[in-house]
Amino acid sequence: MPYREKTAWLSLCAMIVTFGPYFVYVAMDSGPPRPLPDLHELSYYAAITVAELLILGIGHLVLRLKWPEEARTPLDERDDAIKLRSLSSAYYVLIFGMIYAGCIMPFTFKGWSLVHASIFMIVCAEITRLCVIVISYRRQA
Amino acid sequence: MEGKLSNRIRILRFHNGEMSQAELGQRIGLTRQTIAAIEAGKYSPTLEAAFRIANVFKVPLGEVFQWEVSGEDALPEK
Repeated sequence: MPYREKTAWLSLCAMIVTFGPYFVYVAMDSGPPRPLPDLHELSYYAAITVAELLILGIGHLVLRLKWPEEARTPLDERDDAIKLRSLSSAYYVLIFGMIYAGCIMPFTFKGWSLVHASIFMIVCAEITRLCVIVISYRRQA
Repeated sequence: MEGKLSNRIRILRFHNGEMSQAELGQRIGLTRQTIAAIEAGKYSPTLEAAFRIANVFKVPLGEVFQWEVSGEDALPEK
């Protein structure tokens, strides 16, 4: 498995493990809306961001220690092509998400719903990027 | 014009002292996985990489890569 695919798997797992439970919590939170700015929501978001950074930091360290030569290898033309393909796919997801969360949702939602929707769309775009990377390497494309 | 890019890298590696994919990749600045993908016909290299590969084996580009035309555009068999 190429080193870039390993790092993509790591990022994908970190994102699912941290943001997955976060969005489940957000979706299940059916209590009455709390007055804004409602900073304890922000503390949850900060906590999962720190958790994700920790997982990524430790994961990258382990990968670098286990495969030091592969980690030092610069990107070649196929890696660049895969990177470009993944970024363009993620771009369309992000554009759709931002139009929805920024231009359509404000007519019916407000406060943290908009923030959560925006974060969700960003996470979707990032997951799309990582999935395209993993699939491209799997298919040797 | 429909067709696909085929190559003789595996054979050329064999005729060059069973050169490994990793060694070929190292000599032209590509990873072993990229050489494997090119050999399998899953990835088409850039023109520059194609020339570099041909240069390693000291053969013309056409001896490494061939464009196989298919469908109505294919040349009739003799």
